[in-house]
Amino acid sequence: MFSFALRRLNLLFFTLLMLTLVAFSLNYFFPGSPIVNMTGLVNASDAELATYEQMYHMDQSLFFQYLAYLKEIFSGNFGVSMSTQSPISEELVTYLPATIELSLAALFLAMLFGIPLGFIAAIFHNKGADKTILVIAMVGYSLPVFWLALILILVFAIILPWFPSSGQINLLFEIEQVTGFKLIDILLSDSPYRWQAFLDALKHLVLPAIAVAVAPMTIFIRLARTSMLEVLESNYIKAARAKGLSNLKIIYHHGIRNALVRIIRDMGLQFANLMTLAMIAEVIFDWQGAGSWLIDSIFQRDYTAIQGGLIALASFTFLINIFADFIYAALNPVERYARHGT
Amino acid sequence: MARDKIYIEEEFPAPMKQLWLTFKSTPVAIWALGCYVLLLLLAVFGPLLSPHSAMENNLDMLLMPPAWHVDGNISYLLGTDDLGRDMLSRLIQGTSLTFGLSIIVVILALVIGVVIGSISALSRGVKASLLTHFLDVVLSMPSLLLAIIIVAILGPGLTNVLWAIGLVLIPQFIHITRNAIKEEQKKGYVLIPILDGASELRVLVTSIYPNIIDKIIIQATLAQSAAILDIAALGFLGLGAPVALPEWGSMLANSLDLFYIAPWTTYLPGLAILIAVVVTNLVGEGFRHSLKLQKEN
Repeated sequence: MFSFALRRLNLLFFTLLMLTLVAFSLNYFFPGSPIVNMTGLVNASDAELATYEQMYHMDQSLFFQYLAYLKEIFSGNFGVSMSTQSPISEELVTYLPATIELSLAALFLAMLFGIPLGFIAAIFHNKGADKTILVIAMVGYSLPVFWLALILILVFAIILPWFPSSGQINLLFEIEQVTGFKLIDILLSDSPYRWQAFLDALKHLVLPAIAVAVAPMTIFIRLARTSMLEVLESNYIKAARAKGLSNLKIIYHHGIRNALVRIIRDMGLQFANLMTLAMIAEVIFDWQGAGSWLIDSIFQRDYTAIQGGLIALASFTFLINIFADFIYAALNPVERYARHGT
Repeated sequence: MARDKIYIEEEFPAPMKQLWLTFKSTPVAIWALGCYVLLLLLAVFGPLLSPHSAMENNLDMLLMPPAWHVDGNISYLLGTDDLGRDMLSRLIQGTSLTFGLSIIVVILALVIGVVIGSISALSRGVKASLLTHFLDVVLSMPSLLLAIIIVAILGPGLTNVLWAIGLVLIPQFIHITRNAIKEEQKKGYVLIPILDGASELRVLVTSIYPNIIDKIIIQATLAQSAAILDIAALGFLGLGAPVALPEWGSMLANSLDLFYIAPWTTYLPGLAILIAVVVTNLVGEGFRHSLKLQKEN
């Protein structure tokens, strides 16, 4: 386990290094002067800029500039936003939790429906149920998320007024921001209308989460189906069958457990995909998250915000990836030794 | 006259032909391929086929519902949008933007990716290992996030979006080509031309490429469905095609404020994207299925 952890952490380290290198070089690729792109101080005087140039070692070679940049990034200084002039790190703390909340809710939905459907498809392999589920998976996989979101709003918010069409919570509720995660903030607050607020926030979460969850769900269906099919082919299932266990018992005791382990391995990769879908859904549902914030900053040419958003979103997806790897390794001892040389 | 079979001849068709023979026997795959060719024809001959202009405003015909509606007009089969532009013509001409451009982007990315992948498969040592690590990092990033970042650097616009999506697709092709070549190099048949004294390049072109082309084509269909979705998504976000162009994603974005009074302006472009992606995926799925069948036999 130790050497496995070391290898993963090594990969994480190099990945983060590469990521910061890309972010650093963006300062030179973006139009405008590099120091303004790094700090975001568009209105600063030349004298002020000169002190910042000193801080970022702009008079030295690119290598030392990069080191200075790294030092600032790791101490949490991403510069200030070019459009609002407030620190990027503060904006990230406000917006990133909302995206994570939405993605986690969608991941939960996707797994809750995707995995059982995939298992059902595998158990009824090549029968009607399997084929129907595969057709659903194919269509769901091909649905553009923005269109799905619009259709969901049209049907479940306008024609049938069941769910609100945009926002995170009704503006009547005043919730103080503590963690940034709306649902947790509501539970932490001491407002007498806590439970109404909680229900309202949940209602706001339903449509965006469904829109984001559909495409990953279909991938989970496929993953669950193939991994269950592989497990059902294996020798220990044949042994269980030879012992005379009923089909239901085989699938419950041997099939599901072994198939689930393989799905967790791919969960990390799916989460990255899910974050991108969440970014688009945020724009449509007016969800105050990092995705809509990043897209807004592209329109406003807010280069510091683009950089900060890139580093935050990408390193978050990497962390989740590695986290999923660890869970997988913890559940499956074989994996800890098998992956030499990665 | 058909040639008589004088002796029993064992036939080994080329890998591509084998793939086609199994592909042909799956009805769904053939249907999908038919639709794919139809979309291709629409993309090429769209402007000749569309009944009206895709850009011209017609102020007498604003927001006309589709023909099956009571207020519909048969000469505007799928209705008109808020500027009186014919939806059917816009959708047909959008095929060449969303679907057609995705093909071009994928082909470009394929060529570049296969070349780099081949070079990296033939090279050894630090260079190769650096490339693998770099690829691991790039491949674990979601494609749309990368595309959005590249668009942020290049600035919004349809050409920049195409560059971005092409750049994002290249690593996948490098990865698949590299792995496929490495896998083939271990097989025995590659040894024969090497013993005959063929150069590395010649072995690659005459022996290895014909045997890995099926894998690359399957990757290309996957890449294309992603490219269609990404072009449309960036168009929808307003980072891609300008509003006037009938690109499906930006058509959808245009209809955002209309979709309660004129839902057809919203669901039709979405359906077009859905159909294009489903068709592409089905063709890919057909190829993958036939490759699997071949392996099993």
